[in-house]
Amino acid sequence: MCKLLKVAIALGVVYALLVAGLYAAMAQPPERFGQIMKRMPRQMFFILPFKPLWMQARAGSLRVGDQAPDFTLQTTDRTRTVQLSSLRGKPVVLVFGSYT
Amino acid sequence: MVYIQEAHPSNAWQLESNVKDSVIFADPMSTDERSDVAGLCVLRLSIRLPALIDNIGNSTERAYTGWPDRLYVIDRDGRIAFKSAPGPYGFKPDDLARALQGMARTPPD
Repeated sequence: MCKLLKVAIALGVVYALLVAGLYAAMAQPPERFGQIMKRMPRQMFFILPFKPLWMQARAGSLRVGDQAPDFTLQTTDRTRTVQLSSLRGKPVVLVFGSYT
Repeated sequence: MVYIQEAHPSNAWQLESNVKDSVIFADPMSTDERSDVAGLCVLRLSIRLPALIDNIGNSTERAYTGWPDRLYVIDRDGRIAFKSAPGPYGFKPDDLARALQGMARTPPD
């Protein structure tokens, strides 16, 4: 019984370390996180609580009511730039995303 | 749309579904490359929104924690009126639509 308890504790510690490691990876910049995920065995997705960790790790610091950080970015065809603050006076939707 | 770092580039965490759909791109390393991939993204996905590209230093993505995808609504005063949970789990256009409908009911000052 004592041996079984030790095994259970050891497994619990290993699991906790894996969870902490995954959370730390999620908190890395995207390019680094992508390199870590490239090497992570697929089975880990079924073992570790990926979604709740992700929601927390990528929550970000901006809150509703905060001033939106200003930016000036080029259009995809690079023919002109758009500054967010120049759009004051009307609502603006920002959709962040990529192709893949 | 703000085109940001690729979520599943071929040189990192590539997904089988992207390979199957022939959506295979390494993460752009220059503004020219980013512009090229963003242009293809807009064209092939028939995106009709005005599309911008984040700078190669990803400062806009970092400011908004926008990767891999995320939705925001900025109100008339330049404040954040809606922020989705991080994608892909939190990328819910219906929630965005509800936020916009709420704003439409609020007349400007």
